[in-house]
Amino acid sequence: MAKVLIVDDEPNLRLLYETELRRAGYETMTASNAEQGLEYVDTMAPDLVILDIRMAGMDGIEALQRILDRDNTLPVILNTAYSSYRENFMTWSADAYVTKSSDVGELIDTVKSLLQQRLVEN
Amino acid sequence: MTGHPDHRDWRAETLLCGFEQSLLVQLVIDDETRIVLASEGAGRLFGWSRSDLIGQRLRQFAVPPSAIDSCQQSARCESGDPFELEFRTSSGSVVPVEVLCGHFVGPDGATLCYLFLDDHATRASLESLRTARLAKLSLLNQVSDALYGAHLTLEQVLEAVLICVAAGQGLRFNRAFLLLIDEAGQTLRGEIAIGPSNHAEAERIWQNLETEPVDLFEMMTTYDRSLRETDVAVNEIVRHLSVPLAEEDHFLIRAMNGRQPILVTGDFQAPGVDKVRELLGHDTCAVAPLTTHHGPVGVFLADNAISGSAITDLDLEFLQLFANQSANAIESSRLNRELERRLMDLRKAHRKQREDQQTLLRMERLSVMGETSAIVAHELRNPLVSIGGFARSLERNLPEGDSNREYAAIIVEEVGRLERIIHDLLDFIRPQKRLRKRVDCDQLIRQAVERMREQLEARNVGLQIDLQAGEVELNCHPGEIQQVMQNLVMNGAQAAADGGGTVRVTTRRIEGGVEIEVLDDGPGFAPEHADQLFSPFYSTRTTGSGLGLTICRQIIKAHGGVIRADNRSEGGARFVVVIPLPRPSGSD
Repeated sequence: MAKVLIVDDEPNLRLLYETELRRAGYETMTASNAEQGLEYVDTMAPDLVILDIRMAGMDGIEALQRILDRDNTLPVILNTAYSSYRENFMTWSADAYVTKSSDVGELIDTVKSLLQQRLVEN
Repeated sequence: MTGHPDHRDWRAETLLCGFEQSLLVQLVIDDETRIVLASEGAGRLFGWSRSDLIGQRLRQFAVPPSAIDSCQQSARCESGDPFELEFRTSSGSVVPVEVLCGHFVGPDGATLCYLFLDDHATRASLESLRTARLAKLSLLNQVSDALYGAHLTLEQVLEAVLICVAAGQGLRFNRAFLLLIDEAGQTLRGEIAIGPSNHAEAERIWQNLETEPVDLFEMMTTYDRSLRETDVAVNEIVRHLSVPLAEEDHFLIRAMNGRQPILVTGDFQAPGVDKVRELLGHDTCAVAPLTTHHGPVGVFLADNAISGSAITDLDLEFLQLFANQSANAIESSRLNRELERRLMDLRKAHRKQREDQQTLLRMERLSVMGETSAIVAHELRNPLVSIGGFARSLERNLPEGDSNREYAAIIVEEVGRLERIIHDLLDFIRPQKRLRKRVDCDQLIRQAVERMREQLEARNVGLQIDLQAGEVELNCHPGEIQQVMQNLVMNGAQAAADGGGTVRVTTRRIEGGVEIEVLDDGPGFAPEHADQLFSPFYSTRTTGSGLGLTICRQIIKAHGGVIRADNRSEGGARFVVVIPLPRPSGSD
């Protein structure tokens, strides 16, 4: 069962994503800030990371760089309330960019396709 | 006078001078009716020069000569009552006169007779001259009243004064030319002219003008009718009349600066005269300066080139009189025109300022929106995701038929609406720096619009597509253009829906671009809303974000195009989008 790490400082969103991802058949773990997220990447070997951008402390863009420094094959989905980050080239290195929506369908679909892709590549 | 060599009494001298110059017909004869003294008037009556009359016998002019034999014998003379006599003039005509006479003794003791001849013809012609003078003066007065009273344009004033110079009831010149100092103050330039180019025309026109009443406006109307086509020749001449003010010796400039009218007769010589004569094709003309208290304005030039009749001192006097009045009228209507021009400039500047202000206001609004929307995005989008997301989960988990499931669905729907507003807001402020590509115009529009067909049918709205742009490629961001089309079509569908109407989409090639129209047959929009249709948050509907048309304008503008809206004459609204085509080579 693939493990998905959710990094977001909004507890309600973490809960929503957890619920939906589990329902879709994934194992989940959550981190409430970027530092904790990086720690879990090192220690818990997730198969995919969902990363919020605007967070207190280290932001998602910096966290993304650090994750890629460790393992650039690990798929990362940037998930944010801001569509404007799409213009920031620093976000281009992420595997996907999904704007936050109450319809979690797009996020789940993206997770699914990235994991499948990874499976094929490996 | 007392120092005069022959020591004649100066009073006698003055009286004699007055007698001789008088236009009254006065004679002094001796007892053989020989003329000893004659007045100017007597010379004119008999058709002789005054000096030639001296020494002639008066009886030789009388009809019959026996009517005056010897003055002393005439009892009529003694009575002091006037009596009738007839005289033959040098031209052979017989003139009846009334005679008054009296005797006195001359310096050498001889008896002399003083005769005063009251000549009906002379009196009549003097009177008619006076009447004519009066008529002209009255016309001039009327003209000047009219010029000041009425709000005439400069052109009308110029025309009116020239008509008066030429009209039969006016100054009766054949042709009149008006030269004015140009606006740069450098040149005296021919402005306009009126007058016929030949005898036949002249006769027709002046006949008309003379029989019609003496009223400025009627004269102008008559002029319009009869002179319009005939003054081409004089206006050709006037265009060539141009003298730099620096040529101070030029007779026109001298007349103007010296404020003196000039009668240019055949033997008149001065710098510039010959060239003007050549232009006029005539030797004689009258020049009258136009002067206001600000200084010279221009000159009148008038001649009798058609009839060839002489210009009298009286004509010149009147021309100058009239010039003085015209100058002021011309000056004031020139000032008026200048004022109007400045007023227009001011209005334009004011309008521009207002537009700039509105643009500024709109930009300010947009920048505030940009800032607030960033906050909105974060502070609203996150909670909305949780609310909507869990509501979705609830809806899914509740059994069918449970009313709570329905309530959850309502939350999901409403949250969706709020999220769309936020999406529109963020789209609206996002900088448009995406890559463009070349796509077939009609194909792109068809794709975008066809996608809407189902939604329209669900609303019972028909869709007509008529794409005529031909094989044309737009250099654009296809997704954005499609968004514009979908917004416009949905907009039309919402307007048309009430009547179960139709939305029609057309394309066609125009100069330099493509024109796309989206037409509906709904109620249209109130004209006073036309300006606001594309403003943010302007919406007459209760649903939607109020940003749809604003985004459309933003996108079309980013593509270098324009979007506008109007009401169709047959009802409904029309949105027109014009997108310029990429230039043929290497410009993208």
